[in-house]
Amino acid sequence: MSLFFSQLRAEILKLFARKRTFIGFGAFLLLEIVILFLFQTKGVNRFKSLIVQQGEAFEKYYSALTIAHIVLGAAVFLLGGIYLALVAGDIVAKESEDGHMRLLLARPVSRFRLLLVKYLTCALYTIALVQFITWSAFLMGLFIKGWGGGYFAYSPEAGIAAFYDWSEGLGKYTTASLCLSFAMITVSSVAFFLSCLPIKPAAATITALSYVLIDMILRNMGFMEDYRHLLLTHHMAAWAKTLAVDPQWAVILRSFTVLVGVNTSLFLAGVVVFDSRDLKS
Amino acid sequence: MALIEVKSLTKRWHTDRLALDCVGFEVKQGEIVGLLGHNGAGKSTVMGIMLGMVRPDQGEVRIGGVSVQQDRPKALAQIGAIYEAASFYDYLTGWQNLRALCSLSGWWDEKEVRRVLRLVNLHDRANAKAGTYSHGMRQRLALAQALLPRPKCLLLDEPTDGLDPEGIREFRELILRLRAEHGLTILLNSHLLAEVELMCDRCVILKAGSKLYEGPVPSRQENKPIFQLQSPDIAKARDIASRIGASMSREGMVELPPHLLGSDIVRHFVEGGIRIDGWQQHRRTLEEFYLEQTGL
Repeated sequence: MSLFFSQLRAEILKLFARKRTFIGFGAFLLLEIVILFLFQTKGVNRFKSLIVQQGEAFEKYYSALTIAHIVLGAAVFLLGGIYLALVAGDIVAKESEDGHMRLLLARPVSRFRLLLVKYLTCALYTIALVQFITWSAFLMGLFIKGWGGGYFAYSPEAGIAAFYDWSEGLGKYTTASLCLSFAMITVSSVAFFLSCLPIKPAAATITALSYVLIDMILRNMGFMEDYRHLLLTHHMAAWAKTLAVDPQWAVILRSFTVLVGVNTSLFLAGVVVFDSRDLKS
Repeated sequence: MALIEVKSLTKRWHTDRLALDCVGFEVKQGEIVGLLGHNGAGKSTVMGIMLGMVRPDQGEVRIGGVSVQQDRPKALAQIGAIYEAASFYDYLTGWQNLRALCSLSGWWDEKEVRRVLRLVNLHDRANAKAGTYSHGMRQRLALAQALLPRPKCLLLDEPTDGLDPEGIREFRELILRLRAEHGLTILLNSHLLAEVELMCDRCVILKAGSKLYEGPVPSRQENKPIFQLQSPDIAKARDIASRIGASMSREGMVELPPHLLGSDIVRHFVEGGIRIDGWQQHRRTLEEFYLEQTGL
């Protein structure tokens, strides 16, 4: 087991030794600032009316947590998928293309183990990135509004418009962000699977993004009403349901079980494909 | 005892091109064996199968008695390899590259890594990014990773490719030193026939996926001395040579039977009135042998 962890550690160090990884974190920080600026200048009035219409005090609920929630949702929606697909799409395909795989597989390690280490690295990276966005958005909120106040959790797609006190809201925000991290692993899994095919890394990234985008568009189509349970983004959106006053845990658990099944299947399909490949230039 | 057994390897690519046709050979413990052949002969495919990176349609490779096709990690635990152009992570230092690769072998010993880096003369650049290394330094780093942790056998695929003459000489000396000091078994795939000739005990020649030759490096066989006669009387000299049991070509190459010495035949030529402008022992080079075998 310690051997496995030392291999996982080496893979994580390799990923975090790349400048691009840090540039990504920097890009998200920049995006969060832009979102925050646009929201403060253009969106805040609309948001104010939403809170007031619900009969609550805007001053209390326009807090660090509410701001963080808005920034988190927008940043992950706008750039999260792209960046995760880029990293996971590269992790096998780029290493095969660059010839690193020939060096790695000249070592006494099975292809299954090598891919498991890489997949777990992608999953950990996904969690790290979403958590980075979660807490950097929260810090920005603190910078603007300070500690305390309420939390207006608003997610129209999930049918959520709930009000919480600070401490309860902080717990809800933390739980939701952990569930979002888990949900986003699915994007990485799709890109990882494609990365195991004998295709260019850019093709893996673009195909993964296209798949997720089409899935999302279909989810919003009326004629797909009866088939939404077949769409990945429908189950991924379950993270927002944890923000309800009385969350339907059975529904959330069902969606996350589906995602676990999909992720496992994508990983195993990737292993089977990669295992059947001849690695020779 | 054979450390590497390559048994009846057959491989057909998806394009239906036959890459290997029932190729088999052995490498004994402590031997240096050269794998020769023109481009596309199947050398790298053999190496790929030996490392489990290419799947054979038939046959198998056993290293230390363990089948690569059945238990790859166990078989590969005994070897170090450079397969095709070694591609390191440019954004990691040489040291970090070695650490990442060694983690896959479940081994790390800083003292031993330092010793190997000194051996390949890379110890003072170990903390520089691999992206800043010259081609020669990359090849030395490739050799360092192959030597960690101490393997019983090295598989080297074109290890001197792109090196300057000095680098090639250093590499050759290092390989011979490794064999002498550690008894390493080495399979060397190279286009540089002169290097193979200087380093290898035996060679295997492939052509279009088939094995043409497996045996000692020809220039090391001293049992059939060949001499080159320079004379205006070649035709007359051939008659004399055939009378005393030696064979002689039109170009003046004389192959002696075991009972005759070079001085004996010179005496026969002089007594037969042959004018001798030049007489020297000729050693058939590996290049001549290779070209003869491959029909090029």
